[in-house]
Amino acid sequence: MGIKSGYFKDHLHVDLSSGDCAHRVLTDGFLEAYIGGRGFGARLLWDNLRDRGAIDPRGEENLLVIAPGPLTGTYLPSSGKCSFASLSPATGVYGDSSLGGHFGIELRQTGTDLLSVTGRADSLSVLFVDEGQARIIAMPELQGKSCLEAEGMIKERLGTHEVKVAVIGPAGERGVGFACVNADWSRNAGRTGIGAVMGSKNLKAIVLRGSRDLPIHDLDGLMEESARAFSYMKNHKYFQMWQREGLMNVMEYANARGFLPTFNFKDATFSKIGRINGDTMVSGFKIGDSACFACSMSCGNTCLVKQGRYVGTVTEGPEYESCAMLGSNLGVENFDAVLRANQLCDELGMDTISTGNLVGAVIEGYEKGIISLADLDGNPIAWGDEAAILDLISRIALREGIGDVLADGALRVIRQWPEMDKIVLHVKGLEQSAYDSRAAASMALAYATSDIGAHHTRAWTIAKEIEQGDGWSDDEKVELVIYHQTLRPLFDMLGVCRLPWIELGLNERHYENFHRYVTGTDASLEELLERSNAIYDLTRLVNARMGMDRRSDTLPYKVCYNPVQTGPTAGKAIDPVEFGRLLDLYYRKRGWDANGLPPAAVEEMHSR
Amino acid sequence: MLKKLAVIPELCSGCRMCELACAVHHFGVNNPKKAAIRVLITYPQPVVRMPIVCSQCRIPVCADSCPVGALRRTNGVVELHAEECVSCMKCVEACPFGAIYAHDDVDHPIKCDLCGGEPRCVATCPKGALRLIPEQSLGESRRINNVLSYAHMKEIEFMERGQKRIIQYAEIGKEEL
Repeated sequence: MGIKSGYFKDHLHVDLSSGDCAHRVLTDGFLEAYIGGRGFGARLLWDNLRDRGAIDPRGEENLLVIAPGPLTGTYLPSSGKCSFASLSPATGVYGDSSLGGHFGIELRQTGTDLLSVTGRADSLSVLFVDEGQARIIAMPELQGKSCLEAEGMIKERLGTHEVKVAVIGPAGERGVGFACVNADWSRNAGRTGIGAVMGSKNLKAIVLRGSRDLPIHDLDGLMEESARAFSYMKNHKYFQMWQREGLMNVMEYANARGFLPTFNFKDATFSKIGRINGDTMVSGFKIGDSACFACSMSCGNTCLVKQGRYVGTVTEGPEYESCAMLGSNLGVENFDAVLRANQLCDELGMDTISTGNLVGAVIEGYEKGIISLADLDGNPIAWGDEAAILDLISRIALREGIGDVLADGALRVIRQWPEMDKIVLHVKGLEQSAYDSRAAASMALAYATSDIGAHHTRAWTIAKEIEQGDGWSDDEKVELVIYHQTLRPLFDMLGVCRLPWIELGLNERHYENFHRYVTGTDASLEELLERSNAIYDLTRLVNARMGMDRRSDTLPYKVCYNPVQTGPTAGKAIDPVEFGRLLDLYYRKRGWDANGLPPAAVEEMHSR
Repeated sequence: MLKKLAVIPELCSGCRMCELACAVHHFGVNNPKKAAIRVLITYPQPVVRMPIVCSQCRIPVCADSCPVGALRRTNGVVELHAEECVSCMKCVEACPFGAIYAHDDVDHPIKCDLCGGEPRCVATCPKGALRLIPEQSLGESRRINNVLSYAHMKEIEFMERGQKRIIQYAEIGKEEL
């Protein structure tokens, strides 16, 4: 049964070099195979790469693909997601990041299913998509402005408050390898340096205003299905806790289970956890809840520092990753300082995960004498030294002194100081997220085989393995990773958040029904998963074309050779032999060769 | 008894499900821009998340501004009689709260009618930030929150059937020096 609804079938392609904004019609075959979001991104990046053979991520020819999914903005739980994809300046290969908030639905309401941007504008510009009419507006006055300030200036210039803005900060303009794209003030497409891609295109912001009805095949059916899903979530025992603490609840959990990054992943528990946990946030700092579109869980928090050195700091969040990477990972035990660091990253437009990871590596590198005081431009830094940490964060974004090296990410750090290879945790050049994988081989495998590098959302298997994984066979570990890597892309393709499923156990069958009610097609969950699995093959193909193979599916040195020091996971590290065995099995199960390359049929399938 | 929509902005998360539910009910479409309610969000100074709703005013400025008298207050609800409306949108501009809305596809202003007594926005709000309450109870949440913020809360711990319990009491009027 063909597609009856769910799409405008409109692809807006903008060439910033020529100034052309063209509308193309998306075919049913394309929509069915790639669904939306991350699927669209993968296929467009592959098409762009196929004939060229290689692309410089910072070059004019690199493509930026922004795509919500057919479920984005529709009446179902947490439908506020939108995918940003491009070749990553940090890793040189496929990169994407998912943005929450309200940008995705606004893009759909302009009548656009897919927005791609290529080329480079002559001067710093803003792309304004106003009800489907695209304009490129030069705004050189935005140069060097923080994300917040720029958003305010853009709204002032356009004379309206009622637009949605995705903007880069000074870090994106300066091509920081982990610069993010910031929307709704503090929601970020955080990872893989998409902000630097925008910066390389002289594109400061994308501004949207749309008011169209979203196409839905059976709205009544959708409403009934959604009512069941919302009701299930509301009655879940942890629902209230999510509204109260949001992702900050993970701090205590990760600490108790022994996978909280502490002192640059030396430890996996933090003695001062009580000062940077959810209770501390709620009792002393939280002033409001913040939700993405149509989300009842509202995992976002708005915090205000009411007294002390950082008084007046307002930030969305922190969520778990930011708090762990800028808190325990740096030995920072004052929650107000974590908030200040988070706000600074948001204003500068920089990913909190990579920032916290690299700053932690610098502190350890300096402690061990690998990085000298001269390298640090004469500014010493130590665990918990808040002033030095905040100063270093700013210098990264502005590429000042050592910041210029850090701004290009883990690979550049290792080139500069080869011994840092044992200190900085990364895969493929993407700095590792805030889940220490040493006690969970499946999580290590997930990081190693992730297409974008060491990011947790590709397959977050750590909780399940730590809780239930005693005595798991290789087979079970590999199967779990592949299942996550198959189901999770589907959420990104549909344009919805994965948290109702992973955190509250919302049955994935709902998504089969949501998809059916919206598009009018009768694809089963299994069929949808085939399509999302195909996307994993496709991004592998993109990476292979850029020169990656088994040699890139590595683990950070520490994960294998520096066991956890204290806490419930003390003594744990991943055995490289076991890892090699898992990787072999993983390739076999995926149908890739021993070198990790997908079969020729994959290229054929995605070249039609 | 007159009932009114009350907003507790401190509870609003900005998810905009109220907009969506309103649009689905009144227009049968998935379009939050076709709603008689809109969540205003400002950030960071000040941080405000707040649905802007119709107050069903006793002296409705919208009705006064209507050149053809298409807005009339009946049983506590200021109703738009669409068949009489000339779509000048004067009421949209006149409302002191900006709580009447316009949309290109819709011929007349989009005006809250309290859904005939069962507002969909109230039913759908996952945070309880929107409530339908008797007019004479308006301000209730402010009164409580305000008093609690002034009171110096004290706690006493005690054991009851082997369980530790806490009783809270307010010490009002003792200034901390």
